[in-house]
Amino acid sequence: MSTRIVVDPVTRIEGHLRIEADIENGKIKDAFSSGTMVRLLEEILRGRDPRDAWAYVGRVCGVCTSVHSLTSVRCVEDALDIVVPPNAEIVRNIMFCAQYMHDHVVHFYHLHAMDWVDVVNALKADPKKTSELAQSISNWPKSSPGYFSDLQKRVTKFVESGQLGIFSNGYWGHPAYKLPAEVNLIGLAHYLEALEWQKEIVKVHTIFGGKNPHPNYLVGGMACAISTDDVSGLNAERLAYVEQLLQQGKQFIEQVYIPDLMAIASFYKDWGAIGGGLGNYMVYGDLPWNGYRDTSSYKFPSGVILDKDISKVYDVDLRKDDEIQEFIDHSWYEYKGAANGGLHPWKGESKIRYTGPKPPFENLDTTQKYSYLKTPRWKGHAVEVGPLSRMLVGYARGREEFKEVVDKALKDLNVPVTALFSTLGRTAARGLESILVTRWGLDFYHQLIENIKNGDTRMADSTKRDPEKWPGKALGVGHSEAPRGALAHWINIEDEKIANYQLVVPTTWNASPRDGKGQVSAYEAALRDTPVADPKKPVEILRTVHSFDPCLACAVHLYDEEGKHINRISVLGD
Amino acid sequence: MRQKAEYEDRILVMGIGNYLMGDEGVGVHLAQCLSALNLPPNVDVLDGGTSGFHLLEYFEEYPQVILVDATLDNNPPGTIRLIKPKFADDFPQAMSTHDIGLKDMIGALHLLDRAPEIHLLVVSIASLQQQGTGLTEEIEAIMPLLFEKVTEMIGGITERTLEWATP
Repeated sequence: MSTRIVVDPVTRIEGHLRIEADIENGKIKDAFSSGTMVRLLEEILRGRDPRDAWAYVGRVCGVCTSVHSLTSVRCVEDALDIVVPPNAEIVRNIMFCAQYMHDHVVHFYHLHAMDWVDVVNALKADPKKTSELAQSISNWPKSSPGYFSDLQKRVTKFVESGQLGIFSNGYWGHPAYKLPAEVNLIGLAHYLEALEWQKEIVKVHTIFGGKNPHPNYLVGGMACAISTDDVSGLNAERLAYVEQLLQQGKQFIEQVYIPDLMAIASFYKDWGAIGGGLGNYMVYGDLPWNGYRDTSSYKFPSGVILDKDISKVYDVDLRKDDEIQEFIDHSWYEYKGAANGGLHPWKGESKIRYTGPKPPFENLDTTQKYSYLKTPRWKGHAVEVGPLSRMLVGYARGREEFKEVVDKALKDLNVPVTALFSTLGRTAARGLESILVTRWGLDFYHQLIENIKNGDTRMADSTKRDPEKWPGKALGVGHSEAPRGALAHWINIEDEKIANYQLVVPTTWNASPRDGKGQVSAYEAALRDTPVADPKKPVEILRTVHSFDPCLACAVHLYDEEGKHINRISVLGD
Repeated sequence: MRQKAEYEDRILVMGIGNYLMGDEGVGVHLAQCLSALNLPPNVDVLDGGTSGFHLLEYFEEYPQVILVDATLDNNPPGTIRLIKPKFADDFPQAMSTHDIGLKDMIGALHLLDRAPEIHLLVVSIASLQQQGTGLTEEIEAIMPLLFEKVTEMIGGITERTLEWATP
């Protein structure tokens, strides 16, 4: 007999995710991922001016606000056949790189690290040994014995004052924590340093986007006029500041994030064989070097890999009716026409029909509908999206930069290439792509400066600003690689207004329920066979789910009517 | 967002919430309404939207922060309460849809010993199920009162007489 456990909500994520898992002989036999909130952006956007859509979608959550805005302006530009000037493309790319740097570092230290780092155990570390260890893995200057000893004192005082902060909600002391106290202390120190650093890198968004949070975008370009000597425009001083921020970000990622990631990973190599999941990976591609329409110029190439076979990469077409489709066999929605078929997002519908149990309830009937997430499929295949997919597709496409960082990491950790298809591989891929993104951010910056020096200061194409120049009806699709994975928006414009708008977001690909054929999506697949030592403290489930960096804010919305947001882990009867 | 670095008694009024989810966005509505006014020179207003970690620099920059947000606490909708959270754990559990980053950030600010004095004004709302950018009648009706509370608090902190028009 198996025991079903429920983790609801999964903590340290944005949004509300529930996992039910059947455990048999210390391993997960089957798992069910449910988004228990719903957010109907589609309804809010209907009837609005397409030029304003970016501002609404940017509000959906605070984590990847700018990538939704970016994807939105791209889909409107696609519908209206607008090509943005090169500088606007570059500014978007630099903001995108800053977003990645911020998002991946915050995910690693503030949302995921505590699945691996036992912060309570850090208080037992020897500051001198910690210092030696820190200096052996990195040149980062804050590494003296006094630095670590002061930190320990401060944290001890904090805990003794009765505050819990990050020390609450943990499974501290669980046998699955394997790090020496000194590595735990380094992790804790960098948790705090990363917090201070992250507030700097977001200033790139303030400079180009005019404000932060929720920076400004513009259909047709960007709203930041280049003016090398005007105090209010994008002048030489501000541009130099952007370069400084990108350099500091590169330094932090190379000297703090990556050494920590590798040090921690070296104690958890067994996780290179756990949490692999689907083995199908999809990337839409992003960071155009030569314009968004020239997909061959993307720094992140697009493609699909099936069954872990990296010798073949398939092309993706977001416009084709039979490639990307959303199904609702296990989702609380209803379609007007075919009850169980898939719909391409241009024909997409978002009518909710909740048929689950009335809360509070013990468990969901997972043979029926059990999630507010729809189930997207590519040519009928369940695929994983995100950093691991991007690194694998780049690698499989033969891109040298990808090969360099991936092969080096495999060699340094002394693990086989198959270790990539795992929870550890997913977490490592996020760090490895951060290395690439820090380099590219500076490349784009230098290109921008070069363009300005050559006299090109164009930042927007406003020739189609006037709706009278638009066709009566237009379809558009815009895509990006959000930090969490492939993101796309599909728009139908009719009579100058939004007639339909559909978002298919990365967490929907990964966290969706199974489809009508019983094929599971990425979370459910990755959780199968994961060992769970203590069903009451399922830190192993958190490790695998957090390795995807779940963000359900744009996929779903708060459901709990009682507002009881206590972290609940219930073990149900046999 | 206006920067007025010359004042030592700087106050930030930060409205947070999700503008797309009806009453959940009450803090953002208030911030937008305050931004349109001519405020005392030491007071800044920020629409914090749904951000968490992104807001750290503002918490470090101002000694006093008046934070306005919605909460789901079973009080009658429109109830306004002032909470002086000492620690992150003192924040209401179901503050809003974006509490994860915010609470962690405030916990870390204490750990860094850089937390400002936070005055948390919470507005009880009936449901987080609403969609759209409008407020319900119940919340719309208390906006003048919320506005008044915020201005009183600013006055209390600065010990100055404020000469503002009500919205």
